[in-house]
Amino acid sequence: MRSSLIRQILILAALALIPGLGEAVYFRQKISWQSSIPPSELVTVDQARTWAGNVIWVDARPDEEFARDHVPGALSLNEDRWNELLPQFLAVWSPGKKVVVYCSSLSCNASREVARRLRKEAQLSDVFVLEGGWEAWFKKR
Amino acid sequence: MKTHTVAFALSTLISLSARAELKWEQTMIELHPTPTDKQAIGHFKYQNPGKTPVHFKSVHASCGCTTAQTQKDEVPPGGSGEITATFNIGDRTGTQVKTVTVETDEAANSKTVLTLKTIIPQQLEITPTFVFWKQGDKPDPKTITVKVGKEFTVKHIKVTSSSPDFQTKVEEKGNGEFKIDVQPQETKNLVASTLTIQPEDSQKIFYATARITNSPVVQ
Amino acid sequence: MSKTPNAQLSTSNVQLSGNASTSNVKNRTSNILRRIVDLIVAGVFIYAGAIKALDPVQFASDIDNYKIFPWPISVALAFYLPWLEIFCGFALVGRLLYRGALSILMALVLMFTLVTIAAKVRGLDITCGCFGHASQNWSFPSHLATNLGILAALVVLWVSNRSPKPL
Repeated sequence: MRSSLIRQILILAALALIPGLGEAVYFRQKISWQSSIPPSELVTVDQARTWAGNVIWVDARPDEEFARDHVPGALSLNEDRWNELLPQFLAVWSPGKKVVVYCSSLSCNASREVARRLRKEAQLSDVFVLEGGWEAWFKKR
Repeated sequence: MKTHTVAFALSTLISLSARAELKWEQTMIELHPTPTDKQAIGHFKYQNPGKTPVHFKSVHASCGCTTAQTQKDEVPPGGSGEITATFNIGDRTGTQVKTVTVETDEAANSKTVLTLKTIIPQQLEITPTFVFWKQGDKPDPKTITVKVGKEFTVKHIKVTSSSPDFQTKVEEKGNGEFKIDVQPQETKNLVASTLTIQPEDSQKIFYATARITNSPVVQ
Repeated sequence: MSKTPNAQLSTSNVQLSGNASTSNVKNRTSNILRRIVDLIVAGVFIYAGAIKALDPVQFASDIDNYKIFPWPISVALAFYLPWLEIFCGFALVGRLLYRGALSILMALVLMFTLVTIAAKVRGLDITCGCFGHASQNWSFPSHLATNLGILAALVVLWVSNRSPKPL
């Protein structure tokens, strides 16, 4: 009786694997196994560089960090002074421009939040988060 | 998988109760600031029921928007105190979870994570906060929808445009919803306006932006 | 395990006492009741599994919110678990691999319950339960009660299925 129970469990477990794997293949573009940010929202320093003059860099870090150093030409847009900084950013934006938001590193959350608000509240498209953040950019400057 | 999860759940519960020296009254505080508050402050109280003094090695927050202060660096046996976590709300919205990690010289449990959960009330939800026309587009009106937060009652809103280049018209849809129609005079010049949206009887001001933008560059 | 499908019928037919018709009715009623619980529980899991299978990206993110597994594991579970629920649900309906399905479902519900309690204890903000984003507005007590209710139904099915039945 025991062995037949285990056999039943294994059969069901194996059966479920088939459509499970199928979905993993079907959705492979929509989900990244490395990072919880969808691949369509992330961009690497190299990719961003290929966009050259069509990129607007957005620094999501607090004012002091921005003041110390930032990507040349980047605009400061953080959640502390969102209402004040957003219109300044929008003055530089035009449709078709690619927006790349960064915060300090791979693990900070500010860039995702700023990118999310730009997409949801200002309803902008082509808003990306820089993979690796300021750290990654600095390494390749 | 079942046994691992049971073991994990049990060890989580056990480790949560096995605070060796410092006893915390709460390690998770939920705050409900008002719409006009600039800060949300959580008081994490602790006690040292042990026989040896406890020293704080470091206290640091998960983001620059939160500062944490200890009143003293050392807690004598039998002593008590609090760590004050101050979260600067800024222009943040929604539910914000920030943590403060406290490191002490306790043998058994040197790291404690204090969680500050701040529910920021959203009096008005404005969608979108940005409307634009490309140079040369027809100056048709565009609509901004304003929804009143569930816990609030707002009967009227006042909308002003910082520039006469854009006209606004407010429509009260009822059921806590308003529609703002924004229309530019023309779309030849690259002009912009900041719209201020204020619920009546409230100090808080909300913003939206209207502008005429460049046409996309042909790539 | 040499019983044939007709064995039960002949056993109940052999009962000669005056209670024969009563116990026949009792058997049939409990069979019908059990069947109803089978179908309700199966329906719950097939529905829950289908909702999650439709949006594995969202489900992976919901699993990640519990902060128990590293992200790649959350992704793997998001693709796999819903189908396990669906197949076990159908197993209940078709009375195939029945006890295996019950064991898996009981393990899943137990795990969901423990994980939900752990999340509450750790103060995590969990806005979804077993029904994907459809249940995101439920409160913690409702989630817990629903989980325990389903667990109870599964236990009842397991226990009442003790008498060996042909597969």
